Amino acid sequence: MKIISLLLVDDEDDFRTTLANRLKKRNLDVTDAASGEEALELIGKKSFDVAIVDIKMPGIDGIETLRRIRKIDPLLEVILLTGHASVEAGVEGMKYGAYDYIIKPCNVNDLLIKVEDACRRRMIEKEHAQEKPECSKS
Amino acid sequence: MFKKLKFFKRNKSHKESSSGDNLPDLFRFKYSCFKMLLDSNAEFLNVITDLTEKLRGQQVFSMSYVRFRSAKAVFHALRMIKNLDDLSGHRYSQMFDTLENINLKIKEILGRKKEISVSELTLPYSAINAEMMDWVGGKNANLGEIHSRIGLPIPSGFAVTTRAFESFLLNSALFDEISSKKMNIDPDNPETIKVISDDIRQLILAADVPPVIEDAILLAHAKLAEETSCGKSQDSSLRISMRSSAVGEDSELSFAGQYLSRLNVPKEDIIRTYKEIVASLYTPRAISYRLNKGIRDEDIAMSVACIQMVESVASGVMYSGNPINMLEENIIITAVWGLGPYAVDGVITPDTYTVGRNSQTISSDISRKRVQLISKPDGGLTEIPVADDLQDKPCLSADNIVVLAGYARKLEDHYGCPQDIEWAIDSKGVIFILQSRPLRAEDSGKSYPATPILTGYPLLIEKGVTVSGGVGFGPAFHVSTDEDLYNFPDGAVLIARHTSPKLVIVIKKTRAIVTDMGNIAGHMATLAREFGVPTIVSTNVATSVIPAGMEVTVDAYSGRVYQGRVPELDEFQITGEFPMKNTPVYKVLREVSDLIVPLHLLDPGAPDFAPPFCRTLHDISRLVHELSYSEMFKLSDLVSDKKGLAFKLKGNIKLDLYVIDLGSGLTENNLNLNSISTNEIASVPFKALLKGLMNDDFHQNQLRPVEFSGFLSVMREQMLAPPSAAERFGDRSYAIISDKYLNFSSRIGYHYGIVDSYCSRTVNMNYITFSFKGGAANDIRRNRRARAIARILQSLDFTSEVTGDRVTARYQKHEIHLIEDKLDLIGRLLQFTRQMDMLMTNEASIEVLADNFLEGNYNLEKIISGQ
Repeated sequence: MKIISLLLVDDEDDFRTTLANRLKKRNLDVTDAASGEEALELIGKKSFDVAIVDIKMPGIDGIETLRRIRKIDPLLEVILLTGHASVEAGVEGMKYGAYDYIIKPCNVNDLLIKVEDACRRRMIEKEHAQEKPECSKS
Repeated sequence: MFKKLKFFKRNKSHKESSSGDNLPDLFRFKYSCFKMLLDSNAEFLNVITDLTEKLRGQQVFSMSYVRFRSAKAVFHALRMIKNLDDLSGHRYSQMFDTLENINLKIKEILGRKKEISVSELTLPYSAINAEMMDWVGGKNANLGEIHSRIGLPIPSGFAVTTRAFESFLLNSALFDEISSKKMNIDPDNPETIKVISDDIRQLILAADVPPVIEDAILLAHAKLAEETSCGKSQDSSLRISMRSSAVGEDSELSFAGQYLSRLNVPKEDIIRTYKEIVASLYTPRAISYRLNKGIRDEDIAMSVACIQMVESVASGVMYSGNPINMLEENIIITAVWGLGPYAVDGVITPDTYTVGRNSQTISSDISRKRVQLISKPDGGLTEIPVADDLQDKPCLSADNIVVLAGYARKLEDHYGCPQDIEWAIDSKGVIFILQSRPLRAEDSGKSYPATPILTGYPLLIEKGVTVSGGVGFGPAFHVSTDEDLYNFPDGAVLIARHTSPKLVIVIKKTRAIVTDMGNIAGHMATLAREFGVPTIVSTNVATSVIPAGMEVTVDAYSGRVYQGRVPELDEFQITGEFPMKNTPVYKVLREVSDLIVPLHLLDPGAPDFAPPFCRTLHDISRLVHELSYSEMFKLSDLVSDKKGLAFKLKGNIKLDLYVIDLGSGLTENNLNLNSISTNEIASVPFKALLKGLMNDDFHQNQLRPVEFSGFLSVMREQMLAPPSAAERFGDRSYAIISDKYLNFSSRIGYHYGIVDSYCSRTVNMNYITFSFKGGAANDIRRNRRARAIARILQSLDFTSEVTGDRVTARYQKHEIHLIEDKLDLIGRLLQFTRQMDMLMTNEASIEVLADNFLEGNYNLEKIISGQ
């Protein structure tokens, strides 16, 4: 598999930088953003395979960031970072097409597997969209 | 329909390197969808089990619980659909709408909220009547009604409305913070209630009351000063009493003494006191009370009664009927010297007068009243000794009694039911009504046996005042501090010096209450009747004659306490079953559960086993789960090779078992395209499980149901179940395998078992998870079976958990041969459980069956005859 290009969006600086470093060590091309606004700007400039987005952020929250990401790039897979209590937000997230969720704090191995699976979905959906463009899912 | 063969084949060359790691991408993708789907299926079933448990009504739960579990059920059903949709190349997108329709209905039920339709922040009593309960709370609404419609004297005052409450909470962003904190309350753990109570109250006290609310309250206060001739320039001298008037308080539920009241509040303390009263919605006892009574959080709102302070000479409570015996029509009046709190909170024993309907005093029980409460000049209250010559004097004159009894009759006639009334007499002899609410009486259906003293048992207390009837047995536990309340053991008898509304925290745990002091009209007495806890007060000696730990029988019908158990009284024992039923929160749970729990799609072969027929989330999850296996089968169609991926397993296993190979799960030499035999399995974990499933002991003897009642009860369950359910005895089982992986899912009869395992040389990655649910026979037998299975699994070093009829167990990070051994045993256990329900005739059978299994005796017939 080619090197995965990942966007990590979380307002908690410590968590974000630590996780970004760990994922870089696993040979991922990681870009990080401290807010939804920053993430959306980055997506306009660079192509990512997968984004990890924290649900709870000041400003544009995770769900709204997800909605806008899906509008800009419907094939960019988004994994939501959630707390135990944010099930209702999780439902919204799934409706807006999040790939899946992972509960914070999370195990890097589990996260990596999830990122790879999301990336695989992106490849498959991409082929699907190329073969039957009229069938692309909302 | 799949055009991705090219994609698949491109990667096919990796296949021989086997195991999870190098499976082709499409396979890996589908497999990950399938795993997520199974994961959510398990989570979903957990929610179902949990909801079913709560629906029995025996456990206390909150509105946050209902919300959280419903959202969880929706989430996992949605995640299952999403993964099925991905798995199938988006052929099930319409199921998102099926789910959304159900979700909308759930949201509608959870979202219902009382509308506040008052715009004023404060209202004078002249503008209030009983219909305005939702705007000004129970206490204010009743005071307004008494003033404007009944015409009895009440002190002047005004209400701070629930509109003010709402804007206080919303403007200070308190609402969201409180909601998120409340999520962490565990109803069974008083410590969590205390911690979260402290947090929430601090939040409220630290918040600023918006200026418009502050201005409105102070303006109303100035008007009141003017009206009560304190003069506007002197409104700082007006003292008021500020009392909680929560929505729902003083109506069918008393909330007796649960919220804060402050007497003699000076002007400068009004706003702070307002916040304190709002914060008292979240005292540990108020939270417990609402949890126990199943009151929806959305339905609580705090209005505050601001009443001109009455410097009462005497005050008390009056019941227009006898709460212990409603057939008796006498009026009961209790009275103390000074301010009212001492008449209700159990500090001293008040005078008690029994008055006939004709206002004639039938009896006066005059107590010694050593102390009384009075207002302090700078605000607040203080206790002072009662003058020597008044201590043993009656607080009420014959005239007072006639007037009070007249008021009681008037109030009862107006409201049409017996009333619980607070009153006060000022220094001029004017009698004011401070509060009136429905009198909480014992259930009239309860028998009221007047038993003679039973001989043969040491009598500890011969005569106390019964405030709530019934019989309770248990070890005595003395309560004198808050700490004692947190340590209160389940099923104990509470012994205390004073009565206190704080005791509500443990009211569900206690079998009976006995106190030294207190009276029939105290707050705690009201609560005891409301919760049906046998209670005797005013014994004078309970704390000294009943040592901690002694087992006692409390006969609250006769006001006696015996040492030890008194079997003659057993039949009168009160068991607090199904406390949640009929509460508002329970009703919401019921309605929401109707959209989540019932399963209508039972037969995969039936024409209505399809998306349009899903009425509940359970239907959806069942359908999606079944369809996911079909989708996994279709994987084989993707391969143009001759070699298929899905096979029917032939062999002596008594299961209709289909095998899907994700890679290297089968030996290379199998030639049959449609079926395989058991010796062609290469998957390490599956081979181990099959060894157990095919264990000879299960195939030599056929079990006949020998225990007639057991057989009958299984038959009855079958007859009660929808007809198609019976056909489930032929359900398919599936094994999805690779060389190191196994997901085995079987429906045998009514049983549903899942084994998921990874078995490799990397010890840390190895695991077995096992879950088991369902079964014919009734709840009790199913639960017994679940416990028997859990017992077996624990003996096999699994960690396991039982909820209702569901067992989940886990065994992980062990050597490959240990994993294989355990899978073999799980295989045997699956066969062993097939007929187990019928044998779970009593508690002892749990141990008998578990021990026999562990000793390797799988012949159930022998086990029964041995039993």
